[in-house]
Parts: sequence; structure tokens; C-alpha cells
Amino acid sequence: MAPLFEARGLHLRFGDRVVLEDVSLAFPAGTLSGIMGPNGAGKTTCFNVLTGRYRPDRGQVLFGGRDITGMAPHRIARLGIARSFQLMNLFDEFSVFENVAVALPATRRRVADPVGRAYGEPATVAAAMAVLERVGLADRADQPAKSLPYGARRALEIAVALASDPQLLFLDEPTAGLGSDGRARLAELIRALKRHVTIVVIEHDMDFLFGLADEISVIHWGQVIARGTPAELKANPWVMASKLGDGA
Amino acid sequence: MSDPLLVLDRVGKVYRRGRLSRETAFRLDIDRSFAGRQIVGVLGPNGAGKTTLFEMIAGSNQPTSGQVRIAGQDIHRVRPRERDRLAIHYHQSYQVRRFRHLRPAWLMERAASPYPLVHLFDEPQFNTQDGYIGFMLDFFRRLKGEDRLVFVCLHPTAPFQIDILREICDRFLFVGGGAVRGFDDLPAAVAEPAVRRYLGALADHAEAEPTV
Repeated sequence: MAPLFEARGLHLRFGDRVVLEDVSLAFPAGTLSGIMGPNGAGKTTCFNVLTGRYRPDRGQVLFGGRDITGMAPHRIARLGIARSFQLMNLFDEFSVFENVAVALPATRRRVADPVGRAYGEPATVAAAMAVLERVGLADRADQPAKSLPYGARRALEIAVALASDPQLLFLDEPTAGLGSDGRARLAELIRALKRHVTIVVIEHDMDFLFGLADEISVIHWGQVIARGTPAELKANPWVMASKLGDGA
Repeated sequence: MSDPLLVLDRVGKVYRRGRLSRETAFRLDIDRSFAGRQIVGVLGPNGAGKTTLFEMIAGSNQPTSGQVRIAGQDIHRVRPRERDRLAIHYHQSYQVRRFRHLRPAWLMERAASPYPLVHLFDEPQFNTQDGYIGFMLDFFRRLKGEDRLVFVCLHPTAPFQIDILREICDRFLFVGGGAVRGFDDLPAAVAEPAVRRYLGALADHAEAEPTV
């Protein structure tokens, strides 16, 4: 079966520097794929090519068999791909509910006054609350986004991405800034979503991905240096000898 | 018979200081060839010229004399933007030096290869805590398996770095005293007094039989 999302032979340079060298990735529908690598390895650059922020010098990006290479990010989003960011993008002064409601397709179609009238409509309320329910924030719907603790803000960001009902969800370093409790809760949330949406998580925290992903691509020096299931990657003697090998 | 993959043909680099006396501040000479499908460990003290050697191979730093040929092409005659299709230099940001190219690119040759043939890893950061080392070493081996020539420059400060060199390298170069010496294995390198002095307390570890 053809993968839902595929990158073939991506090559990108910034000036004299090669930042992506022949990167190929495939994300089958219904799976959770991980992209991991040390800091500065090119993960976010790769992510930005996959989601349309950068156009590769060579190579192709395919979604559902359709060539989306170099397509503008908002057009890619409309095709059913949502992404979260390493640095959170939320409307701090808005309520949790409003952050999600404004991202709903029904709301976004209302060019004039998207916030005011649409919010009160029963269909909007139901749709936004359903999304908040999925990420465990329904009981905090009325709180301002800025009042949420960090981990809950991450969950809200995922809710905003889910509001567009994507087929594919990209999460960029979702554990950034989270403590171990926050990570565990986030892992639980992502695991629950996994069955319903195809997910790609970029992370430098190997342990987090080992517990979640079906397949992981390791990126370093702008290239895919290893690929495999968590079990295959964990079998590497250097991984076993590291702190990850203790089952940490 | 065709050239080996990489030929450093009487390559010399000299930096001079002083406007009048033109005293030699740095000198490096190498006349050596390398076939593909191997991993070469590069050792040497800071300032000996390891990075300069890599820069000359990658084509960013023009030798004072001699020629660097990769798959038969003089890398310094290839368009600057295409040189990494022959040799690619992976370095830390603090190592980046910029060199001016005076000839316009359109007067220069195209690179004959679509992908890098020689891979130069300049002091890659190995951290035993995170487990990435294993994937990095597998990657070096994969490149070798694809007939590429891989150089790994390390300045060992801990026994595990010696273990890495022993595990992956097919041969060794020692850059020091203005010259580059080659060795077939780590014990042969350590038998050389200059290498032993350079490794200091790690020399005994390098001589010992691997424990794994």
C-alpha cells in the first residue's frame, strides 16, 4: 500500500551549506512515525520542507499520491495536514474553547466576524468541545489559555491542530519544556490519538519516541542515518550501553 | 589504470607571517592516495592541520602547491557550490572558515557525481549518554558499504573515543609536525613515539586488546 505521506530524495542547501542530503521518508496511514536526532541535526528544517515552509532544491513531497512539493503551507493545511510548533502558537488572551473554536473549519470559512457569532452556534460549540474532550481539556474550556500550566498548553496546541480534522498531524518537539509527569501525560494523549489520525512526531528525546512510534527515522547531518522500529533501534549496542539501555 | 578515489598529489599548504621576513607560521605536506570503501581515522594535536587538511580535500581551502583529485577531478577546478558532490565536510559551527573564490563559477567544471563521494567528519560530537553514537557509527559503515571514502577526525580525550576509532577505522592518519603519517591499525600508530606522546595516558588503552 502506498504511504499516506512520502518524501523522496529531498535536498536543500542554505548558501554553501547542505542542510538536507537525499532525505527519503514514508509515513503509512494509521501509524505513528518518529523523526529523531540530536540538536542541530536538521530535524526542524526537514519538518519545514515536509510542511511547505521551505521548498527543497531537489526531491518530492507526496501526500495521498499527490505532489505537494513547494506548495504554500496554508494550501497544504487545507489538504488535511496539521502541524504544531516547537514554540507554542496560542492566543493567550482567548479562552481554551475560543482557541479551538477559531481553528474549526466552519469558523474559518466565515471571513467576517469569525469569532463573534460563530462561537455561539450549537454546532461550533459541540465540535470544539468534542476536540477538547479528546485532549482532556473539556473542563477547562472557559479558562484563558494563558492560565494553563505548560503541559496543558501543549495539549491545547494539539487540540488546535486537531480542530481542522486533519488526516495527518505533525508534532514538532512536543516534549519541549515538559517535565517527566508532563511527558507521561502527553505520551498518553498521543497514544490515544494514534488510532484515529496518522501522526509524525519530531523529537530529540529518544525515550519518548521509543515508547510511542511504530517506526523511527534518525536524522543527523541533514541525512537519514538510521531507520527502524523502536525494538530494532534499541538493539544497537551503543543504545543499550547508554542510559536508554537501562529501560529508563 | 584509473586513479584511486582520492589523490592528494604533492599537496602542500603554507601560511606565512610578517610582511618582510615571511616567516613560515604553518606548513602541512601530504602526498598520498586513498581508495574508496574504507574509513580512515584522523588524529593529531590541535593546530596541527587536521581541519586544514579536510578543507583542502573538500575544496574550500586552496593548497599552496599540488592538486587534490577526487574521482579524477581536481576539486579546486569544480564550481564551489558543487564541490560537496565530490567531498562533503561536516564540521562544527565554530570550525567554519570562509574562503573567497576569485574565478566565476561558470568558468569552472561541473561536479561529475550527483552525491558526495568523500565524507569528512570533523570532530563529530559523540555523547555516550544519548545512544546516538551507535547510529552514527552505523552510518559511517553504510557509507563505506556504498563504496564511499569516510574520514573521521577525532581528538580523543576519553577511552571510549579510542574504542570508537578501533571499532570503525580501517586505517589511521596522524597529522603532526607539518606532515601526515599513515598506519594500518591503531597499535601500529601507537608504536610511533609522536602518536604515543599525543595520546598521553590513552596510549595504553589504544594498545590494549579490545574488551568487547
